[in-house]
Parts: sequence; C-alpha cells; structure tokens
Amino acid sequence: MELHIPTLAPEVLFHIGKLPVTNTIINTWLAIVFFLILGFIIRSNIKLKPGKTQNFLEYFLEKLFVYFDQVTGDRKKTMRFLPITGSIFFFILLSNWLGLLPGTGSITVGESPLLRPANTDLNLTVAMALVSVVSSHLFGLFTVGIFTHLNKFIQIGTFVKSLTKGPVAIFTAVVELVVGVIEIISEMAKVLSLSLRLFGNIFAGEVLISVISSIAAALVPAPFMLLELLVGLIQASVFTMLTLVYLTVMTTKPHGQKH
Amino acid sequence: MFIDIAHASEITGKTAEAAAETGVLASLGINSTLFIFQLINFALVALILWFLILKPLTKKMSERQKMIDDSIENARKIETNLGMSEKKYQEKIDQAKVDANKVLEKAQAEALQNAELLKEKTRKEIEQLVEQARKNIKTERDQSLDEIKEQTANLIVAAAEKILGTKIDAAADNKIIDEAVKSLK
Repeated sequence: MELHIPTLAPEVLFHIGKLPVTNTIINTWLAIVFFLILGFIIRSNIKLKPGKTQNFLEYFLEKLFVYFDQVTGDRKKTMRFLPITGSIFFFILLSNWLGLLPGTGSITVGESPLLRPANTDLNLTVAMALVSVVSSHLFGLFTVGIFTHLNKFIQIGTFVKSLTKGPVAIFTAVVELVVGVIEIISEMAKVLSLSLRLFGNIFAGEVLISVISSIAAALVPAPFMLLELLVGLIQASVFTMLTLVYLTVMTTKPHGQKH
Repeated sequence: MFIDIAHASEITGKTAEAAAETGVLASLGINSTLFIFQLINFALVALILWFLILKPLTKKMSERQKMIDDSIENARKIETNLGMSEKKYQEKIDQAKVDANKVLEKAQAEALQNAELLKEKTRKEIEQLVEQARKNIKTERDQSLDEIKEQTANLIVAAAEKILGTKIDAAADNKIIDEAVKSLK
C-alpha cells in the first residue's frame, strides 16, 4: 500500500474564479451543510415539550453549560459568550470527527485527497484563534471600559499618577509598563498557541492514521481512530475552555478596581 | 514499505526545501486568500450554529425554565393564599363564635332583666289585688257588722216590744228569746 503522508499545507483541488478551494475547505463546507440541515430540522421541530433529538441536544447543552459555568462562574456570562464558545466547540468537534469519515485521505482528486480534516489547515485554526482572542478584547472593551481595558496593557495612566507619589511609585509604574508590553506579547502568543495546538494535534492524528493504515488497512487502525475520536473531543474542549478563560479574564475588572 | 517511507522522507525533505525557499508561513500552508476564505467559512458556521441551532435551543430552554419557575411561584402563591384564606376563615369562625356568645349573653341578660321586670310587675299586681281584696273584705265585713248591728237593734226593739206587751215570767222570757233567735235564723 502506498504511504501518503499529508503535507503541512492543504492541497488545492480546484479554483472558483481566482479563489483556491482546498480539501480542508471541502471538509469545512461539509460541516456547514451538516449544521445547516440540523439547524433547519431543529428550527422546524422545536417545541416547548421536546422530542428525542431536541431532548438529546438540550441535555448535551446543559452538560456543556455546567463546564462553562465552572470557568465563568456565572450562567449569564456563559450565555453571553455562547455565540463564540458554542460555535467554536461544535465546529471543531464536528470537523475533527468528520476527518474520521471513510474516504478521508483515500478518495483522491488527481493526486490530492478529496477530504482532509478541516483543522489540519493552519489558515482555519489561526482564523478561529484570532476570532477567539479578538472577541475577548472586544468583550473586554465593552464590559470594563476602554480605558480600564487598555490600561491592562499600556499602563500610562498608572505611570502619570505615580509621578506625584515619589520614586518608589515611579519605579513600580515603570515595571508595570514593561509588564504591559509582555502582556501584549502574550496576547499574540495566545493566537499562536491556540492555533498550533489544535493544528498539531489533529495533523499528528491524521499522520498517525495514515501511517497505521499503510501498515495494515483493516482492524489495526480502529483503536487509533477511537483514540482520535477522544482527541477530537479533548481538543475541541481545550480550545473552547481557553477561549472562555480569555473572555472571562478580559471581562473582569483588574484587582483594585471597584465596580 | 521501506520504499514508501523513503518516499515520504523525500516529500518531507522537499517540504523543508520549499520552506527555506518560500518562507516559514508559506511552508505551513498560511496563505492570505485561504486565511480570509476560512475566516468567512468560520463566520458562516458561527452564524448558522448560533441562529439556527444554539439560539432557538437556549431560548426554548429558558422559556421552559421560566415556565417552571412561574409555575412553582404560582403554586407557592396559591399555597400562601390558601393558608391565608384558611387563617381568615378560622378568624371569622372564631369571631362568629365570639359574636354568637355575646348575643347569647346579651339575650340571657335581657331575659333575666325581663323576668325580673315581669316578676316585679306581677308582684305589684298581686299586692294590688291583695290590697283590693282586703279592702273588699273589710268593706263587706263592715257592711255585715252594720247589718248585724241593725238586725240586733231591730231584734232588741222587737224583743223589748214583746216583753213590754206581755207578762213575762222566766219561762215565757226564755221562750220569747228562743223564738226571737229562731226567727233571726
């Protein structure tokens, strides 16, 4: 059997006009179609007295909210962040599990596989990480105020106030200014760590499945695929929980600030 | 198998070379067009997930939760109202009992008072009747006495007339007296 190790960059299958369509985008579209169908089914059948599907989804959401509440500490905050966190969680979960569909890696268009897990594309993981970090800053700006939020990174206000309080206060303010710069760097690192962690895990899983499948096509890859199911869930949870932590931290007033 | 692995390492080598030639970002697959494409895709997913799935579900869940909370609150209110009604009912019953007792006491007092009044009135009437009877008796007695006196006087006069009309011995005297007495009867 031919060993096909996926390349780091997704393979371009065809172009729509000048837009390249990669195999990861096909997987993303599959997820979109799946959510669209599920969404229409839910919207048309949603009732106060739930059916089996609605009941299962509500049960799943309730369980998820319990975990979210542990991070936010408040159900209202959980619900406020849900458009971001819920979308991230369900999309990553489905994308990861779609990568285990039969045909992923084996059906080819030309020399490239038709399907490839969406999160093995750094463009997507970076896009989601950016959404996560940028939305946390936007939430922070609107919740704690522009000045308070910016003062977490560029502590000029603290520095100006310290000028009248003596040399020790000035020294502390200078240190806080430097810490602010480090905070700005750490915000960039958040995007890197979020995107690379997800990409690395899912890409490694894809490589592992490819290698194992090339050694033995039947039965042997099954345990690894089961493991990938778990990895998919864990990675979705990690990405979501970290996003939730960023959102919670950014919408919390810093120490010493009174409400 | 070994050939395949050699092929794979060759691909990896080529990738590394490409990285050196085109930059780290390009070797990792980062492409501005693809990035924007994926960003739009994710935005689309987020919109679909939120507006078609998560929002309707959470809205329905909160509606149900509100309905349950309202029902519990209503049940609590009904329970409280029931308790208050029972309390009011008991209070009214107690008040009615107190009022009834008062009415009974008042009626008893009035009855006693009326009885006393009637007794007093009756006693006075009896006294008046007795007084009237006494007066009548006295009047009758006086009349009788007057009549007796008159009769006695008449008798004495008649007896004296007889005595004076005839020679009277002791035996005739007694006989005349007896006749006079008999004639009185």
